[in-house]
Amino acid sequence: MFRNTFRKLTICSVVVLGWVLPTSASAELRIFACEPEWAALAREIGGDKISAYSATHDKQDPHHIRARPSLIAKIRRADMVFCSGAGLEIGWLPLLMQRGARSKVRAGKPGYFKAAQHVSVREKPVVVDRSLGDVHPEGNPHVHLDPENIILLARELAKRLIAIDPENASVFSANLRNFEKQWAENIKQWRKQSASLKNMPVIVHHKSWTYLIAWLGLKEIGTLEAKPGIPPTASHLQSLLRTTAATKPKAILRTPYDQAAPSNWFSQKASIPALVLPFTVPRGAKPGALKTLFDNILSQLIRANG
Amino acid sequence: MSLRYMRAVAAIAVPVMLATTPVAAADKQELQKILGEIKGLKRAYENRIATLENKIKSLETKKASSAKTATPAGSSRSVKDNSFNPSIGLILNGRASSFSENSSEFAGFAVGEEGERGKEGLSIGESELNFSANVDDKFYGSATLAVVQEDGSDKIELEEVYIQTLPDAGLPDGLRLKAGRAFWTLGYLNEHHAHADDFADRPLPYRAFLNKSFNDDGVEVSYVVPSDMYIELGGGVFRGDDFPAGGSASGLGAFSAYARVGGDIGDNQSWRLGAYALHSDVNSRATGEGAVTFVGKSNIYAADIRYTWAPDGNAKNKELILQAEFFNRDEDGTYNDTGAGTGNVNFDDSSQGWYAQAVYKFAPSWRLGARYSQLLAADTPAGLVGSALDSAGHDPSAISVMGDWTNSEFGRIRLQYNREELSDGKKDNQFLVQYIMSIGAHGAHAF
Repeated sequence: MFRNTFRKLTICSVVVLGWVLPTSASAELRIFACEPEWAALAREIGGDKISAYSATHDKQDPHHIRARPSLIAKIRRADMVFCSGAGLEIGWLPLLMQRGARSKVRAGKPGYFKAAQHVSVREKPVVVDRSLGDVHPEGNPHVHLDPENIILLARELAKRLIAIDPENASVFSANLRNFEKQWAENIKQWRKQSASLKNMPVIVHHKSWTYLIAWLGLKEIGTLEAKPGIPPTASHLQSLLRTTAATKPKAILRTPYDQAAPSNWFSQKASIPALVLPFTVPRGAKPGALKTLFDNILSQLIRANG
Repeated sequence: MSLRYMRAVAAIAVPVMLATTPVAAADKQELQKILGEIKGLKRAYENRIATLENKIKSLETKKASSAKTATPAGSSRSVKDNSFNPSIGLILNGRASSFSENSSEFAGFAVGEEGERGKEGLSIGESELNFSANVDDKFYGSATLAVVQEDGSDKIELEEVYIQTLPDAGLPDGLRLKAGRAFWTLGYLNEHHAHADDFADRPLPYRAFLNKSFNDDGVEVSYVVPSDMYIELGGGVFRGDDFPAGGSASGLGAFSAYARVGGDIGDNQSWRLGAYALHSDVNSRATGEGAVTFVGKSNIYAADIRYTWAPDGNAKNKELILQAEFFNRDEDGTYNDTGAGTGNVNFDDSSQGWYAQAVYKFAPSWRLGARYSQLLAADTPAGLVGSALDSAGHDPSAISVMGDWTNSEFGRIRLQYNREELSDGKKDNQFLVQYIMSIGAHGAHAF
C-alpha cells in the first residue's frame, strides 16, 4: 500500500518536474533584490546582462515580510542576493537562504551583497534592549536615501558583477562609468535645488528618513512612533504636539506603508502638511527610476517648505 | 604616526629652543637673526606638515572607500547572531483554563498522553529554551528543551535536537539534510513549535493521529526544485519510537515522503499546498492512559493548504490566513484494550480527521480566529465493542474561536473558547487564557 503510493508520488513528481523545469537555461544573471531600489540599481549597472527581481514592492514594509514559498523559489535560482542588510531583513531573509540552499549566494560569496556593509551606517545604538522598541543593533538600515551611498554601492555592485560574470566585464564597467557620470550630475543638480531645505524642521513617522535628512541637512525634531516599530500612541502624539509647537515643524514625513492615521491627526492639529514620500522605486522600474525617486522627494519637500 | 608627532615636536621644540637660547652674551642683531631663522624654519616645517597632512587625509579617504569595497562580503561586521556563542531564546508560555466536563474522551480513538486535554486551572504551558548556532561553515545546530509537567513534577523534554546542512556543505544546490530529533515535515502545523500556533491547542487530528506532534529521532532530506514555481520534495527515515509508531524494534521503524508546491497570486495573496505520507511499524504503542495497545502498521496520508491575503503584502497591518489539513490513517494490526479486557483484536481499517481555520488580523495588534475540527472514527470491530475504541457512532468534533492581542513581535496574549463534543452527549465548554512571550534570539517563522 505504502510502496504503491510512494511510487505514484514519484511518478507524479517527475511529471511535474518535466513540466515546470526551464527548457532552456537563460544566460543572464539572476539578481534577487530584497528591496526595489537595489533591483533598480542592478538594472542600471547590469543592463541587459542581468534580470533583477525585487522581493518587495514600494508599498510594502521590508521589515515585515513573510518567508513565502515564491521567494524560496526565487532565491533557489539566484546568482546574487542584493539587500540592505543591517538587520532590515533579519525576519525573513535568513529563512529564505536556508530553505533555498543556494551555494552561490551564501555569506562570503560575491553573490551575497549587503549594502550596509559598504557605506557608513548611522544611528548605531549604544544600548540595545527590546524595551526600546524594534531597534536595529547594527544601526539604521535605510541607507539608500543618501545619493552619495548609491554611487558607492554602484561601484561595489559592478565589481561583484564582474567577479561573477567576467565575460561581460566591459559592459558592466561601461554601464558603471555612464551611471557615475550621470549620477554626479544629478547630485550637483539636487544640491542646488535643495539649498533652501537646510535646517527645515520635520517630524517623521518612523526613522526611515535618517539618511535623507542627513544628506539634505533637514532637522528631525520628533518621531510619531515613541519607540521604533511600536505603533504611535495617543499620549505620545499629544506630548509631541506640545513639545514641537515652538520649533514650528514644516511637514510630517511617512512612507506609503506607514499607518496614515497618526500623521493625519498630527497634520490637522499642527496644521502642517502630512507628506507621503515615495520610499523607493516601483517594482520592475525602468532605468532612471532612481533619479525620479529623488526628484519626487525633493519637489515634495520644497513645496512643503514654502 | 609621524605627522602628529612632528607637529607636537615642533610645537614644543620651537618655544623651548627660544627659551634656552643664550640671550645674555648675544648681541641684539644676532638674536634677531636667529629668531628670524627659527621663524623661517618654523614656517617651512608648518608648510611641510600641512602638505603631509593633506596627503594623509586624501590617502585615508581613499583607503576608507577602498577598504569598504575590498572587504569580502560577509567577513566584515557579522552582527545580531553571535558567531561563536549560540543564540539563546526563551519562550514563556502560561495559561489558565476552565472546562465544563470532568473528563474528555475521544469516541473511537485512544489518544496518547500529549493528545489529551490540557490541565484545568492555572499552569505553565510548554516553556521552551532554544540554543542554536552555525556549527561551522557546513552545519547548523539547534536544540530546544521544553519544560513540561508530567505526573505532578517538572520534566525537561527534548523537543528538538538536530543538525542541518548549510548551503556551504557541498551538497547540490537546493538539497538539505537534517538529522537528529526534530518536528519533521508533515502537514502544516507539525514542523512549527506550539508557541507559533494560532490557537492555544492543537486541532483534533493532531491530537489523535500524532499525539500533538511527530518528533521522532531520524534523518530527513529535502530538495527545492529550481523552477519558477516553488516545489519542494523530501522524505525521511525515523527510529519508530514516537507516536504514531511506538516501541521501535529495529531502530528503523518509520518512513516519510512529501511534496509541496506554492506561489503568489499578485502582490497580496500567497498559497501553499502539500501532500505527505508517513509509514510506521508499530511494535507496541500505548494510548488511552496505557490501557490500549496497538501492534501492527500505521500509514498516515495528509494534505494541507494555506492561503494568506494581506493588502499590499503588509501582513503586519492586516492579514487573513486560511488553513486546512486533512488526515487519513490506515491501521493494520491488533488492538488490545486491557481496561475493557478485549484481548488482541484484529483491526484493519482507516479513520480520518480534518480541520479548517481562519484567522483575521484586523488591526496591527489584534486578531480573531475560528476553527472547526472533526474526527471520523473507523467502524468498530465486534471484538472492540464497549472498549475505548468503540465510537458508538459518534464523530468527535470541536469548534474554537479565539482573539489575541500582540503587543510586539515578542509578546502575545490570547483568549480562546472551545466547544468540544468528543464523545456522545458530552459537550465540553472550555475557556482558555494564554500568554506567549519570547526573550532573546528568536528565529523567523516559516510561511
